[in-house]
Amino acid sequence: MSKPSPEVYETGRGMDAHNQVMREIRAEKQRTYDPHEPTRVWIDEDNTPTGVYESLTIILNTGGCRWARAGGCTMCGYVAESVEGGTVAHEALMDQIDACLDHEAEQAESKCDLVKIYTSGSFLDEREVPAETRAAIAETFADRERIVVESLPDFVTAEKLADFTERGLETDVAIGLETATDRVRRDCVNKYFDFADFEAACAEAETADAGVKAYLLMKPPFLAEPEAAADMISSIERCAAVAGCHTVSMNPCNVQRYTMVDELFFEGGYRPPWLWSVAHVLESTADVDAIVVSDPVGHGSDRGAHNCGECDDLVQKAIKDFDLRQDPSVFSQVSCECETTWEHVMAAETSFNMPLVR
Amino acid sequence: MTDYFEVLDRDGPARLGELRLSAPVTTPACLDDVLEDAGSLWAADREVPAGSDEKLTILPHRSFPPGTREEVREAFAVEHPSVSFPSAAVVTADTAAAVGADAYVLADVRGFDGHAAKLRETIVTLKSKLPADTALIASGIATPGNVAMLAYAGIDGFDTARAVAKGTQGKYLTSDGEVFLEDLRELPCSCPACQRPREAFTREDCVEHNKNALRAELRRVRERIRAGRLRDYIEAQTRHEQWLTAAFREFDQQYSYLEERTPVIRDTELTATTGDTIRRVEIQRFADRVTTRYKNRFQNPLVLVPCSATKPYSDSQSHKQFLREINFRGHVVSMTSPIGVVPTELELTYPAQHYDTAVTGRWSEDEKAFVSAVLQRYLERNEYPKIIAHVPDHGYRDICERVEDALGLSFEYTVADHPTTDESLSALSAALHGAEQFGKREREHNTVKAIADYQLGAGAGDELFGAIEIQTTGRYPKLQVRDSEGEQLATMVPQYGMLAFTLAGAERWVDSEAPLKRVSIDGFVPHGSVLAPGVTDADEEIRPGDEVVIEGPKAFGVGRATMSGPEMRSSTRGIATEVRHVESK
Repeated sequence: MSKPSPEVYETGRGMDAHNQVMREIRAEKQRTYDPHEPTRVWIDEDNTPTGVYESLTIILNTGGCRWARAGGCTMCGYVAESVEGGTVAHEALMDQIDACLDHEAEQAESKCDLVKIYTSGSFLDEREVPAETRAAIAETFADRERIVVESLPDFVTAEKLADFTERGLETDVAIGLETATDRVRRDCVNKYFDFADFEAACAEAETADAGVKAYLLMKPPFLAEPEAAADMISSIERCAAVAGCHTVSMNPCNVQRYTMVDELFFEGGYRPPWLWSVAHVLESTADVDAIVVSDPVGHGSDRGAHNCGECDDLVQKAIKDFDLRQDPSVFSQVSCECETTWEHVMAAETSFNMPLVR
Repeated sequence: MTDYFEVLDRDGPARLGELRLSAPVTTPACLDDVLEDAGSLWAADREVPAGSDEKLTILPHRSFPPGTREEVREAFAVEHPSVSFPSAAVVTADTAAAVGADAYVLADVRGFDGHAAKLRETIVTLKSKLPADTALIASGIATPGNVAMLAYAGIDGFDTARAVAKGTQGKYLTSDGEVFLEDLRELPCSCPACQRPREAFTREDCVEHNKNALRAELRRVRERIRAGRLRDYIEAQTRHEQWLTAAFREFDQQYSYLEERTPVIRDTELTATTGDTIRRVEIQRFADRVTTRYKNRFQNPLVLVPCSATKPYSDSQSHKQFLREINFRGHVVSMTSPIGVVPTELELTYPAQHYDTAVTGRWSEDEKAFVSAVLQRYLERNEYPKIIAHVPDHGYRDICERVEDALGLSFEYTVADHPTTDESLSALSAALHGAEQFGKREREHNTVKAIADYQLGAGAGDELFGAIEIQTTGRYPKLQVRDSEGEQLATMVPQYGMLAFTLAGAERWVDSEAPLKRVSIDGFVPHGSVLAPGVTDADEEIRPGDEVVIEGPKAFGVGRATMSGPEMRSSTRGIATEVRHVESK
C-alpha cells in the first residue's frame, strides 16, 4: 500500500494553486476556539448494517486537519473551526468527551447505542488524537453497540481499530472519499489520496473486523449538475463493490464560509446541487450492495442543496425516509413543477453556462 | 486561422456572420442544433474528438466559473489541440488567447448576467485578445429581452438553454421582458405555441413560446444589422430592463471600442429620439470632425439657422426661404440636436442628412450643453467678420447666448417671432446688407475641400486640391473634381456626402501630406475586392466605410474598407476592402 501523506502530495501545479488559494482564503478567518469544548454535538438517528439506532454525533475539536492547514479541500470550511496552535492535549480532549456525555444525558432518552466521532480531520492520526486518548475514548464508549470514527485512509490500521473492536464495539471508519473518480477528487476537491488508497483502507479495516463508511461529496466546484450526478452514481457503485465498505453517505456540497466554493458562489459561479439530483442518485443506486444515505445540510437554502423553494422540505423528507428504509418508492411520492426545470438543467447545464438556474 | 466562420457584415461591434458548416448558419443565432460538446476535463480525461463538418465541436475544456482565482485558472489552463474540423474553444476573458479555433465559448456568462459593467469589461477584454474573424459564443444567457444587446456588444452565438429554463419555471419571455404566466390574462404573442386560449396554455407551451420569441428576436437582430440600424433598436428596446440600458451606456463610455467598429458612412436613417443618441459614435464623431478637421473657407458673414426635418436641409421649405434671402452672401451653418452644427458644405455628409429626431421645440439640458459646446468649439476654430443668428427663441437662442458669453462675441439676432415670417426674413436680408456674394465655383470648390477635410483630416482639402487649379464639373450634389487638364480625381457621393477617388486622385492623395489610409497587400492584382488573407498591413485608423488606398508589389488601387484596419490585420477570412479602381504595377 502506498503511504500518501499531505507532505508528499502537496505537489503538482493544480494542487499548488488550489492550496495557495485556500490558504489565502482561510487566512481571512480570525476566530479561535476553546479546546475544552467540542466543535458540535447532537443526537440523531442512523441506519447501520445492524439496524437503525439513536446516535450521539460528536465533532471533536482536535486542532483540525493538517491537510487543510496546507490549503486543503476546496469546499471545506471546518478547518477554521479548529483551535489555535494546532494541537489539543489529552486532558482537553477528554473534557470535550465529558461535555458530550453531559449533552447526551440531557437530550437523549437513554444512552445512544451508536456513537459517531468526527474531527474534521483524522481521529486515527495520532498527531491529532494521541494513542492514550484513543484508548480512553474507546473505554468510555465500550458499553455501546457501534462506533464510527472519522479518518483519512492513510491512518487506518488494524492495530488502532483493535482499541475498539477488542472492546466488543462494532466499529466503522468514516472515510471522506468524496468521489471514486481520482481526477475529480484531485482537481475539483483538492484531496490528495487515490481510490486505491481507499480500497486499501477498506481491506485493512476488514482484517480488524471493522467496516468502512464512505463519505461522498455531490457537486464539488467546477462540475455541472449532470456531471456531478453521474460522478455520484458511478462512485456509489464503485464504493459498494469494495469489500468492507458497507455504507455510503452521499452528501450534497453546501457553501461554507472561507472556502473556494464560497468565492465562486459569491461571484455567481457555483450553485449547490438540486435536491432532485440527490433523489435521482439515490433512486438510481438503490439496488447496490450497500446502505446508501444522504444528509443534505442546509437544504432549501441558497447555500445548501435546494430545488425551487416550494418542494424542498418534501424532497428532504423523502431523502431522510429513504435513509432509514432504503426504499426508492419514496421518491415517486414527491413531485413538483420544478422537476421539469431540473430535467432541463440535467440536459443543458455545462461548466461554461452554470449555474443555468439559481 | 479561421476556416469555418466569416463575418459578412458589420453594424458597430455587432456582426452578421456565417458559420460555414455543411448546412451554413447565419449568425447571430441560436446554435443548439450545431454545437457538439466534447466535454469537460474537470469531470474526465477526454480524447481529441473526431469532429465533423456538420457540427461546431467544442474542444475538451476546463471552464473557470466566475470567482475562480487567477492561480487556479493558470494552473488548470488547457492546451487546445489543433484540428481541421469546425471547432470552438472555451475561454474566460482573463485567460483568453487565440488558439486557432473558429469560435470561442465564453465561460464567464454568469459573471456578467445582469451586470452591465462586467459585460462591457468581459467583452472588451475578450475582443482585444481574440482574432476579429472568430465567432464569440455565450451559452445559457440569451432571452428575447437581452439578445439584441448581447449581439450589439459583439456576441455571435447563443442557445435556447436559458429561454427553456425560464419556460419550465412559468416565465413568459418577450422582447420587453419577463412575466409570470400566472399574471398574464392574454398572451401577447401570435407564435404557434400561443395559438390557444390562455387557460389551456401550459408551461410546456411557455417553453415553446420562449424559444419562438428568442428566434424571432434573433431574426430581428439580423435584419437590423443588415440595415445598419441595430443601435436605433436597442436604444429603445433596452429601456425595458435596467441592466440592459446600463449596458449600452457602459459601451458608450468605452468609446474607442465602439468607434473602431462603427462605419463612417451608412445610407440609412439614424433615429435620434433618446437622450442617449448624443453619445452615439456617429454623432460624437461628426461633432469632433467638424470642430477639429473642418475649416471654413468663406470670407462672408456666418448665418446660424435652425435645422429642418427635411434632409438635406437645403431641400426644406424653411431653408429655401432662408437661402433666398441670404442669396450667397452668408455662410450657412445649421444648428441641430443632436448633431451640433452642420456647415452647409457638409449637409449631405453622414449622418447630417440621415438622422431624424422628434421635433417638439423642447430642448433638454443635455442637448443644449452639447450643441453649445460644439458651437463654441466651432467658433474658436473659425473666424467670421460677423455672426448672424437667424434662430427662434427657446433652445436655439439660449445656446447662442451661452456661446456669446463664453467667447465674448456678439451675435446679431434676426428672428422676431418665427424664422419664416416676412419680418424675420427681411431682417435676415438686411443684416447681410453690403456683404459680397460668392460664386458657384467658390461654393463648389469649398464644398469638396470641406468634405476632404472632414473625411481625411485637417488640412486635407488644401493638400489635395489647394496647390493645383481644380475644376468641378457635374451638377451639385453629383460633383466631379478634376485637375486643370480635366482628369478626374474624385467624385462627391450624394448619398453620404463623401469623396470617392479615382486612381489619379488616389495617387495625388498618396503624394500629398494629407493623412493617408493605406491597405498593403501581397503580390497580386485584386479585382472586385481584397480578402483579409491578402492584406499584409493596414493603417490603425481605417474604419469600415473609409476610402482607402490599396497598394502592393503588383498593384495600386483605391476602394472602400469594409472592416477596420485592426480587423483587417487580425483576420484571415472575409472581405477587407472593396476595390473601385486598380492598375497593375
